Amino acid sequence: MQRRLIFKGLGASAVALPGLAACGTGGGGDVELSDEPVTIRMTWWGADTRAELTDQAIAAFQKEHPNITVKGEFKDWAGYWDALATTTAANDSPDVIQMDELYLASYGDRGTLLDLADTSDFLDTSGFEAATLETGQIDGAQYAIPIGAGMLASVVNADLFAQYGVELPDDTTWTWDDYAAIANELTEKSGGAINGSGLTGGTDAGSIRYWARLHGNELYGENGDVTLDPAVLASLWEYNLGLAESGGIESAAQSVESQSAGIEGGSLATGKIAMGFGYNTQITPLLAASGADLRLLQLPGNAEAAANFIKPSMYWAVSSQSEHPAEAATLIDFLVNHEAAADILGTERGIPANPAMREHVAADLDEGGRLAVDYIESAAAGPAVVVTPPGGSGFDPMIQRYTQEVMFGERTPQEAAEAFIDELKSEIDAAA
Amino acid sequence: MSATAELRNLGGRGSTAKRQNKAAFWFLLPWFLGLFAITLGPMAASLALSFTDYNLLQPAEFNGLENFTRMLGDERLHQSLGVTFTYVLVSVPVQLGLALGLAILLDRGVRGLAFYRSMFYLPSLLGASVAIAVLWRMVFGADGLFNDGLALFGIEGRGWISEPETALGTLITLNVWTFGSPMVIFLAGLRQIPRMYYEAASVDGASRWRQFASVTLPLLTPIIFFNLVLQIIHAFQSFTQAFIVSGGTGGPADSTLFYTLYLYQRGFGNFDMGYASALAWLLLLIVGAFTAINFWASKYWVFYND
Repeated sequence: MQRRLIFKGLGASAVALPGLAACGTGGGGDVELSDEPVTIRMTWWGADTRAELTDQAIAAFQKEHPNITVKGEFKDWAGYWDALATTTAANDSPDVIQMDELYLASYGDRGTLLDLADTSDFLDTSGFEAATLETGQIDGAQYAIPIGAGMLASVVNADLFAQYGVELPDDTTWTWDDYAAIANELTEKSGGAINGSGLTGGTDAGSIRYWARLHGNELYGENGDVTLDPAVLASLWEYNLGLAESGGIESAAQSVESQSAGIEGGSLATGKIAMGFGYNTQITPLLAASGADLRLLQLPGNAEAAANFIKPSMYWAVSSQSEHPAEAATLIDFLVNHEAAADILGTERGIPANPAMREHVAADLDEGGRLAVDYIESAAAGPAVVVTPPGGSGFDPMIQRYTQEVMFGERTPQEAAEAFIDELKSEIDAAA
Repeated sequence: MSATAELRNLGGRGSTAKRQNKAAFWFLLPWFLGLFAITLGPMAASLALSFTDYNLLQPAEFNGLENFTRMLGDERLHQSLGVTFTYVLVSVPVQLGLALGLAILLDRGVRGLAFYRSMFYLPSLLGASVAIAVLWRMVFGADGLFNDGLALFGIEGRGWISEPETALGTLITLNVWTFGSPMVIFLAGLRQIPRMYYEAASVDGASRWRQFASVTLPLLTPIIFFNLVLQIIHAFQSFTQAFIVSGGTGGPADSTLFYTLYLYQRGFGNFDMGYASALAWLLLLIVGAFTAINFWASKYWVFYND
């Protein structure tokens, strides 16, 4: 009997000990590098070029940290998010994750990403501007580090302007009224061979955010509520319906085709339209695909209103499930802060968000990179936009669906705007 | 050795039978493992999840029948049901009709039958593939081959896959085009009809049409039934074509929003796995109901000649 009690007591303390030990390392900034060999996994979406460059960067990192082995995994965009969701659900998430703005809050808010303040000993963020860092924060927690920065731009095909004898616009003064007039003029002077422009918005969150800001409105409020005014959204569609009628923009069916053909097969790249929109970093694939003299201009009305904004093209984040957060943070530090990595990665993931790296790679940029850097440095930008709230990750296909309904005449702009905002709100409420 | 002797022998050698049972068990084991681990297990899990609010990243929370009551007011679900029913009810009969017609033509002893059979069967092998969906997008695009063909006849084309009125039609056409696999089954069925029936019928002076209606068709009904059940289930599960042709959106304007596509969007696009699981079970019920009706109705029109 006595013996049994003692035995029990031993057992209890043996159970308690690991618990105590966990208290020691679990808190705050006590994350430590291991001396033992460590393997971490890193995942990203993207094509082959990105994989080649990233593998080279990983090799360079491993040379500096011989005890860390990095296993890279990559997928295409759609498959990437399916896989990330399922591996996270299975508690098997990769340590280092390439993250997008659309999904940042979905993951961060649900506790699956590490607050990088915990790893600040290994990942130095002091070189970043505060506004840039903010784009990776949710409720003050730094869940992700921006890799590259992008900015919405007007893309014009100077060859087509010259061919049809239309003067290039002055982007320091032009308004949406000017834009419409130029679009109509282009269509007219080409005799209908081309359309002046593609849809001016309603295909992605960026275009809605910009249009809302121009009207003193925002898509999301500070706390992630939907604050978009239906009348503002309806006015964007009315503007496009007007241009569709006058021929200034391509038909609804052509827009659908252009969209599904992707950036390199879309109407801008194939020269079916002379003006369109895109992120500044998309100029490189656009130039390659079109072979035309494409220029990046400020968005109509932006020079005066400074309503445009810097959007991180993507982020690095560390999974909260990671057993090696210190090593994961060290890898990210290498990727965003070291010239050795910047030399390899260049601008493939966007213009580096870290200004020192941006300057470092600026020396040997190709034409597209040059245009993209010049644009982001010259275009007027307002404050950072609120991160897409959880439930908003399906924004783009949702807005495209409503835009199609409006452009095909199935719904009126006002009715569609209200239905859209209702649906978006219910998605966000459901995810909260 | 006669059959009865063989049976007696089997009965007499109990140990052999046991050994054979054991062997069968081991050969079947991989299949059983697969059945339980990757079919029944996930099915049970999805049934449980269908009564929860589950966003994949946080533990599932029981929410009773909420997912099912939510279906009543879900307009996109209703849209996807409309699209899917249209797809099934149009493409399956047309596909089977075409398959049967061609099978009868080929059965008449065309020279090079094997060649034609292979050629017609080919689309069935490719139809659900990504490559064909991509090809479809190119053929039926505004600048596609199909419009080029129409232009030869002076007909102005349109964006067949980019306009809501015609987008579903192109996907139905794609499914009809894969008539090869039911056709091959029809051909096999036609070959099994004893020639003597036709001989007897022609001696009695029955016309070709009469022979078809009174001999071929009744004897072929079990095969028609088999194809019908299979193709309906198959059509309800279509996913790849719509996913590729619309870029995963079900567009334009939800006109190609197949049920499975919507289910996928809810689950992975919106982190709405509880609802997606409930949708999966609704689909199972719908397919089950269609199949049950099929079997029930078969009593009235399927003729088993045995």
